[in-house]
Amino acid sequence: MMGQTISLFRFLLLGVINLRLFALVSILVIVAGLLSSFITELAIVNSDEIAAALLADMLRYSLVFLALLLVTTSVAQDFEFKQFERLLTMPISRWQYIAAQFLAIASISSILVLPVLPVISLTAGFDIAIYWTLALWLEVLLVGMLGLVAILALEKIPQAVFFSLAVYLLAKLSGLISQMLVESVKLSDGAATNRFADMVFNGILNLIPRLEAFAQNDVFFGSQNFAAMLMAQLGTVTLYTLFLLAVALIDFYRKEFNI
Amino acid sequence: MKRCARPLLQVPWLLLAGFFLLLLIQIAFHQSAITQKSISYRPLSIPFDASIYRGLAMGSEQLFSYLLAIRLQLHDNQAGRHIRYSQIDYELLVRWLDQIQALNPASEYPIMLASRVYSQTMDKARLRIILDYIDRIFMANPQLHWRHLAEATVIAKHRLGDLALALQMAQKLSNQPASIKMPAWARDIHLILLGDLNEYETAIAIIGGLLKSDAVSDPDEKLFLQEKLLYFQQKLSE
Repeated sequence: MMGQTISLFRFLLLGVINLRLFALVSILVIVAGLLSSFITELAIVNSDEIAAALLADMLRYSLVFLALLLVTTSVAQDFEFKQFERLLTMPISRWQYIAAQFLAIASISSILVLPVLPVISLTAGFDIAIYWTLALWLEVLLVGMLGLVAILALEKIPQAVFFSLAVYLLAKLSGLISQMLVESVKLSDGAATNRFADMVFNGILNLIPRLEAFAQNDVFFGSQNFAAMLMAQLGTVTLYTLFLLAVALIDFYRKEFNI
Repeated sequence: MKRCARPLLQVPWLLLAGFFLLLLIQIAFHQSAITQKSISYRPLSIPFDASIYRGLAMGSEQLFSYLLAIRLQLHDNQAGRHIRYSQIDYELLVRWLDQIQALNPASEYPIMLASRVYSQTMDKARLRIILDYIDRIFMANPQLHWRHLAEATVIAKHRLGDLALALQMAQKLSNQPASIKMPAWARDIHLILLGDLNEYETAIAIIGGLLKSDAVSDPDEKLFLQEKLLYFQQKLSE
């Protein structure tokens, strides 16, 4: 059973890697490097730290987007080419497909994030580079899993990408949205509609990842406890990934395929 | 296979005329917008509260604060021209600096912009606003900002010509507890300013007190204070 899952994972991974991934990542790194070096010319103080932090954030957002596109395209092709129907005629369980996809996403995340290590190492030092690479791997893995759930449920790339990005941005901007809702309740003297909106958003917050699930860019500006930050992120990402796996499995087991 | 195109003259003349008219309007509109943009100074917008920027930073607060500071720094360059500092609303500028500082209290960027960039204004009212800002930020974190208050003291004395203000700021430097690490010269600025204000008796009393209390351990600083003491005593006796 494990052998079948591994074979399936290798098949899925090959399908993704054929998309000229390395060329894309190289272009991203070069563009991000050029843009961040421009900042060095503008900043009066702390220019190296600012450039390194900007480079890291640009790489973060482009790799997250790239991972999302790779995962959703790969699963969308499986839908389009009736791969699921073919797989289900073989002695393979549905959970094995999800497990293989998880392994493929973890591998894609590693392939995407690995070039970040030497790049950040050159600009900000090795210890920060190690932290950033591991933290970014966890973040890309999380978003990749989110993309898997979205594409399995929605079956179309644009919808799945928009949904995943919406959840990702909602998680990142949750502090701001919460603050705006709290202020709106205060300004409206506790109007029922504003309180209801605040309550609904607080409910939604329970279903999206917390800010600790993402790499912390502040490490570029001062000494931090990398191990503690990584452990907190690992805990949050593990829990949320398991939750997403459960959602993906339930959705996938409910799907009807015309075999 | 390439598709053949009919001659341009076969297009209805009204359509052609309409096209050329719209083309001319578009060019004129674009040019007027460029001219308008190049001659008008775009003032600073009102900053949001730091908590809004914190939310917008998506977890990268420090980087965001630096990017905001760089954006503010670039405000005096518009349409390829350097804007005079007298055109900038310094009250609004200080509000921006305050929000950026609140977003990243460990940063020296906003106070550095104040002491090195925006203090270059020739307008004394604006200079006072900037010096007041530096003074206020120094009190929030003396260890981080003492250098900028020392610079502000020099600016107040030489650029603003307000010795009383310079002395007031220098005294804040010298009154800092020993736990705030700063070089002796920073603490001694107020002694020099007292001499400039002809407050020789006060200066002699302070230096004498310092030398007697063993608060000064550095031999070079001791020598400097002894020389100053002698100089002030001579001035007083003249």
